[in-house]
Amino acid sequence: MLNFPDQISTSELFFNLDNPNIKIIDVRSVDAYNGWKERNEKRGGHIKGAKSLPVKWMKYIDWIEIVRSKKILPEHHLVIYGYDILQIEQAAGYFRKAGYPHLYIYNYFVEEWSADERLPIDRLQRYTQLISPRWLNELITKGTAPEYNNDKFVICHAHYRNKEDYMKGHIPGAIEIDTLLLEAPETWNRRSPEELKEALESLGITYDTTVILYGRFSFPDNHDPFPGSSAGQLAAMRCAFIMLYAGVKDVRVLNGGIHSWIDEGFEISTEVYKKKPVPDFGIRIPSHPEFAVDLPEAREILKAENKNLVCVRSWREYIGEVSGYNYIEKKGRIPGAVFADCGSDAYHMENYRNPDYTMREYNEIEENWKKAGIIPDKFNAFYCGTGWRGSEAFFIAWLMGWPFIALYDGGWFEWSNNNLPFETGVPK
Amino acid sequence: MTVNEVQEKIIEEFSAYEDGFKKYEHLVSLGKDLEPLKKEDRTDENLIFGCQSLVWLCAELKDQKIHITADTDALITKGILALLLSVVNNRPPGEILSCDFYFVERIGLSSNLSPARWNGLYSIIKRIKNLAEIL
Repeated sequence: MLNFPDQISTSELFFNLDNPNIKIIDVRSVDAYNGWKERNEKRGGHIKGAKSLPVKWMKYIDWIEIVRSKKILPEHHLVIYGYDILQIEQAAGYFRKAGYPHLYIYNYFVEEWSADERLPIDRLQRYTQLISPRWLNELITKGTAPEYNNDKFVICHAHYRNKEDYMKGHIPGAIEIDTLLLEAPETWNRRSPEELKEALESLGITYDTTVILYGRFSFPDNHDPFPGSSAGQLAAMRCAFIMLYAGVKDVRVLNGGIHSWIDEGFEISTEVYKKKPVPDFGIRIPSHPEFAVDLPEAREILKAENKNLVCVRSWREYIGEVSGYNYIEKKGRIPGAVFADCGSDAYHMENYRNPDYTMREYNEIEENWKKAGIIPDKFNAFYCGTGWRGSEAFFIAWLMGWPFIALYDGGWFEWSNNNLPFETGVPK
Repeated sequence: MTVNEVQEKIIEEFSAYEDGFKKYEHLVSLGKDLEPLKKEDRTDENLIFGCQSLVWLCAELKDQKIHITADTDALITKGILALLLSVVNNRPPGEILSCDFYFVERIGLSSNLSPARWNGLYSIIKRIKNLAEIL
């Protein structure tokens, strides 16, 4: 055991919450940070202002780069907290080794902080829709799990024209879903209500079925003929958006996709699970038409002061160096669109994900969006090339509980095919 | 030295560092010796998609042997590039095409690098093989 003299009390921490020299580090899982109660704490979530740096990441040899990317520097005073002293001390040991001398331990999160309603806790508003592998395993093995009040669920392994990805191994009980079932390759837009009804019924999904989606990230390469086939978690996000639009009430995404499941050591199956079709979806599709906007609305959004058309593409796509896709010729951006950098290219979302593919700390995403003027008070319609990255950004904003959000489904593909004005170069 | 002899040498070198921090520091120090890439070679064509950091690879054939120069904006990736280039440089393309880069796993990069960086490493190896194929 490391001998750390500097334990910090609940009141000391409370009175230092706004001290800019203090960084509070939450070393529990990203799911606990988001709001899941993993140790029966009274309130789920994290201490207001805390940064998420799970112990799990400390095995990465580039961990220190993750720390630095969160602007946590050796001159800062770090208050490290977790669920138990072993976890906290392990993390503190790493920080000390990495040259962070000002370390404090806070070991009263469960007993004192979460128990005292007066102490501020933050959480992802719809954290229940971003699930952990432990939660999913409980549901599969026991048929029930926390924050689940249903008696039917369908687990979907999402992919794009790549059934092999499912055959390689999937979560026990999961059926495979090809995004082509829900979006049409002519436009890459969501399919018609009639087609969606038929598709969802064929998957055994009614409006009140709990649907759990996940995919596998397997190194999409822009030089491949079908890079989307390797971007399974993006495919899952795309399906999640379309199902929400259709009216599925309880859509959940496995945080980090199949990688999180494997990291937890849970079993992988190669058995092909049959879809169990249902006769009727149960309600009119779409039940949430407001979640999707098309070209005419997108043009109106650009004229409105309190609305943003949010470009979730890479910088090189935004400035018109590349189109991002081997099937889109034109390069450039929609004039007036607000830039919300996705990451390196059309099949990656590094700026929205952690290094282990889980969703990035939502406070960081919100902070980045805020700098670009993307705030919850405004109406924000996210778009990308054909709707996948836009769907992930939409889903994140939805998880955050933002009230005025949509996806501009057609994106750059539709805009550029309609010979509308576009811009290139670095915006002035 | 053969490709595998170079790989074994790297494995031996890294066996001295069990600790992740030490491996990190060693990689960063290796990166400092990376042969610089000419400014004019920082082109889109030489840029690798799918890396968390910006990575450029530029290859030429000299006396039927491949010579690759590379650069990146990330410290650890610079070190990884230095290792990869020490294995592939000044070898005929065929030898690179048949190289399995087993040292990557043996020195713990596949299991200890964060998945996002691992993705970058995978993309770099794929590009090296691709360059060997087209040259």
